[in-house]
Amino acid sequence: MPEGDKELKSAFDIAMERAQKLGGLSAEDKRRLKEEELAEVGQALGKRYLSGLPIRDVELELGKYKEDRQILIPYLLSFLVDKINLIDPDDVERIVEAIRHFSKRPKVIEGIRDIINEYQIAVEQARQEIQSELGAVRRKELARKGISGSAVEPAIGASPEWLETSQHLLSEYQKRLEGTKSPLQAL
Amino acid sequence: MKLVSSFYAYLWPGVTMQEMMKYGNNCNSYLVANALSGNKHVLVDPGQVVNETRQKCLDRLISEMKKDGLKIEDVGLIINTHAHPDHYGASEEIRKMSGAQVAIGKEENEFLQLASGEMSQALKSMGFEMPEIHPDLYLTEGELRLGKDLVAQVILIPGHSDGHIGIYWPKEKIFMGGDLVFADSTGRVDIPGGSAEALKSSIERIAKLDIEYLLTGHQYGSPGVIKGKDEIKRNFEVIRRSIFPYL
Repeated sequence: MPEGDKELKSAFDIAMERAQKLGGLSAEDKRRLKEEELAEVGQALGKRYLSGLPIRDVELELGKYKEDRQILIPYLLSFLVDKINLIDPDDVERIVEAIRHFSKRPKVIEGIRDIINEYQIAVEQARQEIQSELGAVRRKELARKGISGSAVEPAIGASPEWLETSQHLLSEYQKRLEGTKSPLQAL
Repeated sequence: MKLVSSFYAYLWPGVTMQEMMKYGNNCNSYLVANALSGNKHVLVDPGQVVNETRQKCLDRLISEMKKDGLKIEDVGLIINTHAHPDHYGASEEIRKMSGAQVAIGKEENEFLQLASGEMSQALKSMGFEMPEIHPDLYLTEGELRLGKDLVAQVILIPGHSDGHIGIYWPKEKIFMGGDLVFADSTGRVDIPGGSAEALKSSIERIAKLDIEYLLTGHQYGSPGVIKGKDEIKRNFEVIRRSIFPYL
């Protein structure tokens, strides 16, 4: 038997086994399995949304699930809320748009946005302070080695001072972000 | 190979098709000997440690330098024209051997941080790995003074990459351009951060400089060092005529 047929048959067998099992499952088990499937669909839809699927197309996809639509939405939003982070805030605006569209919690959303903005300002301030303090010292060190001029700008990104400060800021704001996100997890 | 005064060129083989096939991809490296305090050298574009054809690029550079009486341990500053691994790849390895300071264009480093995922994936698909780089200093457009006597101009030349820099030595009339131009050709613009319009502007800007030695980043089937004002002028004209319409 060709390898492809074996794979097809195997997939078919699995589906048949599953259908047989479902026949023997309790109502509670069936409900749990369905929830698991819907959770997977919600996550997949969330991934597609973050990859650029327009919100109207998300609505169309949700529409295919009719009465399960309302069960799917929390899984979709939960996936999106999990993706909000301080390091890579590029997706935040899209996530906020989805949360605003599918739920009615604008205050929480504004809170998340505020924390991300505050974090970015705090990081920039810290960077400037360290750049100014450490930069002057590093500039002198470089000049002693024979490297100077208006083109030279000491880099602080790999300095222990910057690594410690940036880690501290990240940890502080991450805690605040997680605290603000938690009500959204239960949307 | 000594070029002029304290300037040396270490060209990666690739003038003939046979050489290109055998040696694979790596950049040309250039060195300014005894430029810094303590007679330390400046190395521009160290190239890779090992390339895609398993050539030991760094070992070759070290061996070529030895022939000129220069040691890798005496490198005090590594300048990377841009953040492509075939140019900056060996930076951290040479830092370990020499304690050298590592420099890159400020805009290039910012781009590298922002686009590391996309850049990394795109370059990986072309067979490049992205080695680590932790710059000690950034270079922005302006004057670079080295030791007591040497003065260079750092010029931002985006196009092949977003924050690509070139180093112009006005007294010596030398321009180190990384992947801006080659003999009868230009750097590619289809890598993340590349821009045809920016490349054209950068080339026009550099074409106005008084250059006797145009030091290119690769020998893609043609010499890596273009010598003489007339030949350099001809090279820019060929690029304008034959390459610009297709960028």
